[in-house]
Amino acid sequence: MTNSFLNIANVSKAFTTPEGGTVHALDDVSLDIREGEFFVMLGPSGCGKTTLLRSIAGLEYPDSGVITLDGQRIDDLPAYSRPVNTVFQSYALFPHMTVGQNIAFGLEMEGINKTETAKRVSDALDQVSLSGLDKRKPSQLSGGQQQRVALARALAKQPKVLLLDEPLSALDLKLRRGMQIELKRLQQQTGITFVFVTHDQEEAMSMGDRIAVFKDGKIVQLDTPQEIYRRPVNSFVADFIGETNLLDGIATADGVQVPGGGFIARSVIASDCVVPASGSVTIAIRPEDLKISDGSGSLKGIVRDVIFTGETVRVHIDLGTTEVVAHLPSYGVRVPDRGETVSFSPLDQSARTVAS
Amino acid sequence: MLRSALSAILALTMTACGGSSDPVATTSNELHVFNWTDYIDPNEVKRFENETGIKVILDVYDSNETLLAKIQSGATGYDIIFPADYMAEQMRELNLLEPIDVAKLPNGKNIMPSMMDVYWDPGRVYTAPYMYGTTAIACNPIDTYCPTIKSWHDFFTTKDPKVSVLKDEMEVVSAALRAVGVAGNDLCTTDKTKFQAAEDLLLGFKPAIIESDGATERMLNGTNTLEHTWNGEVHRMRPQIPDMIYIYPTDGANLWADNIAVPVGAPHLENAKTFINWLMDPKNIAAESNFTGYDNNIVGSDAFMDKSIRQDPAVIPPADVVSRLSPAPNCPQEVRDMYTQVFTTWTSSQ
Amino acid sequence: MSKIVRGRPGQTSPWLAIPTIAYLFLTIGIPLFITVVYSFLQRAKIGMGVTWHFSPKAYKDLFILENLDGTTTFDTRYVKVLWHSFQYSAVTTVATVVLSIPIAMWIATRNESTRNILVAAVTLPFWISILIRTYGLRQIIDDNGPIGWIAHKLGYENFHIIYTPIATMIGLTYVFLPFMILPIYASAERFDFRLAEAAYDLGAKRWTVFRRIVFPSIRPGVIAGIALVFIPALGSFLQSDMLGGGKTNMIANVIALNFTQARNWPFGCALSVLLILLTLLLVQAIRLISKKFGDQVSLV
Repeated sequence: MTNSFLNIANVSKAFTTPEGGTVHALDDVSLDIREGEFFVMLGPSGCGKTTLLRSIAGLEYPDSGVITLDGQRIDDLPAYSRPVNTVFQSYALFPHMTVGQNIAFGLEMEGINKTETAKRVSDALDQVSLSGLDKRKPSQLSGGQQQRVALARALAKQPKVLLLDEPLSALDLKLRRGMQIELKRLQQQTGITFVFVTHDQEEAMSMGDRIAVFKDGKIVQLDTPQEIYRRPVNSFVADFIGETNLLDGIATADGVQVPGGGFIARSVIASDCVVPASGSVTIAIRPEDLKISDGSGSLKGIVRDVIFTGETVRVHIDLGTTEVVAHLPSYGVRVPDRGETVSFSPLDQSARTVAS
Repeated sequence: MLRSALSAILALTMTACGGSSDPVATTSNELHVFNWTDYIDPNEVKRFENETGIKVILDVYDSNETLLAKIQSGATGYDIIFPADYMAEQMRELNLLEPIDVAKLPNGKNIMPSMMDVYWDPGRVYTAPYMYGTTAIACNPIDTYCPTIKSWHDFFTTKDPKVSVLKDEMEVVSAALRAVGVAGNDLCTTDKTKFQAAEDLLLGFKPAIIESDGATERMLNGTNTLEHTWNGEVHRMRPQIPDMIYIYPTDGANLWADNIAVPVGAPHLENAKTFINWLMDPKNIAAESNFTGYDNNIVGSDAFMDKSIRQDPAVIPPADVVSRLSPAPNCPQEVRDMYTQVFTTWTSSQ
Repeated sequence: MSKIVRGRPGQTSPWLAIPTIAYLFLTIGIPLFITVVYSFLQRAKIGMGVTWHFSPKAYKDLFILENLDGTTTFDTRYVKVLWHSFQYSAVTTVATVVLSIPIAMWIATRNESTRNILVAAVTLPFWISILIRTYGLRQIIDDNGPIGWIAHKLGYENFHIIYTPIATMIGLTYVFLPFMILPIYASAERFDFRLAEAAYDLGAKRWTVFRRIVFPSIRPGVIAGIALVFIPALGSFLQSDMLGGGKTNMIANVIALNFTQARNWPFGCALSVLLILLTLLLVQAIRLISKKFGDQVSLV
């Protein structure tokens, strides 16, 4: 493959649990990461994404499989000889060293001379907007600042690939949003390939050029954020990425019958989806794709909750056998009351059949 | 060593605080005996208890100095102690001993006449004789150096790599003084040139071990084959090394005698007298000799002693060497200081 | 009726400390005071103890030797013994540090239940009298013991360590090892092993990771361990006595000698005072070193 930069081929890794069982953290995973891309590995905890990241870093050795970077096999190299660096979830800043010494550490290991080191330390601090803090000890910095130091320390090494292991999870929401933008910007400026591990789908969506969704040691779906959001391959992805209403129904010639709630016409189901002529199917509909339509909707239910969140109004509708959520704009439309019976339907082409 | 130092330190604090570690002073029918380790036959003690109805409570010490420190610091409550000759004299001078007219006790008549008027207790007012012995040289016959050792001078100049020396200032320095020609009755000489000569001799002497503890054990397991030791230890080694040689050096050897005495303020004075009298019975003291491997100074005890002891030249000095023996010196302090100086200089040069 | 409780919650009444203060005063303060006072007195004419006459002789005797020929010279004997004690303690300290770091790190990386068992195992020797343990060690390192047997089997015919300075140092190392392992372990347990991973990731090899990242983190434990080993080792006498064959005198052996056979208590006290002063100097030095590194060292 021409655009393969970091290639992971058939990598497996099993752990023995304290109870004596075996857990396949990575189950024959293959993956191509392109040079210069912002690649996100997303999944719930225990899905194997961190194990893969650590295998790339050399902090973990896979049981089988091959990892090559830029044409060079790296899976048999020790961590210190791999041209990759990691930003750890805990930051892992050396507490007995100053910020400057922390950043210079990796450069010293390469044998870079003092002048060059000093320059690169100061550049790295500039990059993360911490100029002038090089004499501080990590304990004298805020969490966000420590995060930036960890980033600067890895960036100063000018790695071929920068690995980020849930680096923003300890920050509060506002700071996290800011850092997401900054990381994205840094990645574009430096052109370094970023491999970013997170369990936060919103973070994955907002940052990744491509996202690999992991489940139980396997990649379930690998695609751009838009594609994954619009075309989840199964109910797990649909549910994990963004919010989704999953409706189990029976396929008929005209559409899908939802027990107790109504009917979903073939016209609202995306044209690339295959709806069988009969049998049970699962339909996924995003909450923002549900439209409440005075009496004319094909689905019916009782409003259980109406929650105002600022940007949207979330309406929980009880269909009898299941409950769905619809997001309405917070202004310009009529918001139903609690207890009211409403009829609603998906937007055209918005519903999808998904494998369960 | 540990214990002696600890008790010395303990004694130090006790003197200052005015406290004491008295065994519970009671009027009950008891007898508190303070003795050397392994120096009295427990079966004999039981027999004494059965015969007299007195209950014996035994406590042990490991050196004369420990005994002195403890008694001097005011540890009353002991009824019977076993000081050696020089220590008995010091304790008497310090008024630490009870005058109990030992010679006038019923069995006082059994004290060997030559041991009646001893320097530490003329007329035997304070002390009864217990075991006596000599301090000289033991050699395992497998050691090829044995025939070369005839005197202290030979001993202190030997190249034998398996030699051990008692960690005892008085014994080591007096032997070295003998080696440089000081006579047995002149070991408290104030002639500094003699001490200088003894020191010079010792400085050329590098034994494998300077230690009193475990000397017998080291001899038995072969760590040492030539040893500065007490005669009773040689007798005790006979079951394993029957032909162990005990050398009476031609330049003399120290003769020492242990005593039974009563410290002042003993709570069970009458029981103590009963005990001392009991131990001056030839049969009873012979049993102790059989147990300890040392001879005693009670007339008539020979008849009850094991043949192996009576015929052991290490225990009973042969007639031709008796003239070489003289009592261990009990020197004035200024002389003792020279002993200390020589000993310290020597040990710190090792 | 409610009584106003003064002080912060969790704070105990200062009065509760009085028994402890009294106890320490009685067991440390008073003996120390006696030691200092006795060192300025004269020894008793006969027997143990002192006479109440002021005399600086004990201190003079530490350094000035009146030779048997009447001349006086600088007395190198006690300086030499002190120097030996120093050497033995220093070697012991280095040996315990080297032996303790790997085991402490290993224990610190076990899971919690294993860790508790291992820490208990480290403290196990405290359950047995030091005297008995030293006797046991003597059997083991004796020429005729298991170590000697192995050495002979391996062809070292001249194997001999018992009753040498090496045996003394082995004994000291053996006795003081737990006092080094435990503080280092306490530091190592707090060490975040992710820091080592980070260093590894940044290009550092094993030894560099240890030297630059691990060691600085466990340094407070090492310094505390040095204080706990070096200082008491300096005052040891059991090992030199029982394992060194009485020839490798340490300063405490000389002190003990003066309280027993030599019967010179003032001099023994003067030596003790000298040892205490040296110890204070050492504590001060350790404090300065740890301050230089900016480490938080407990115990000193």
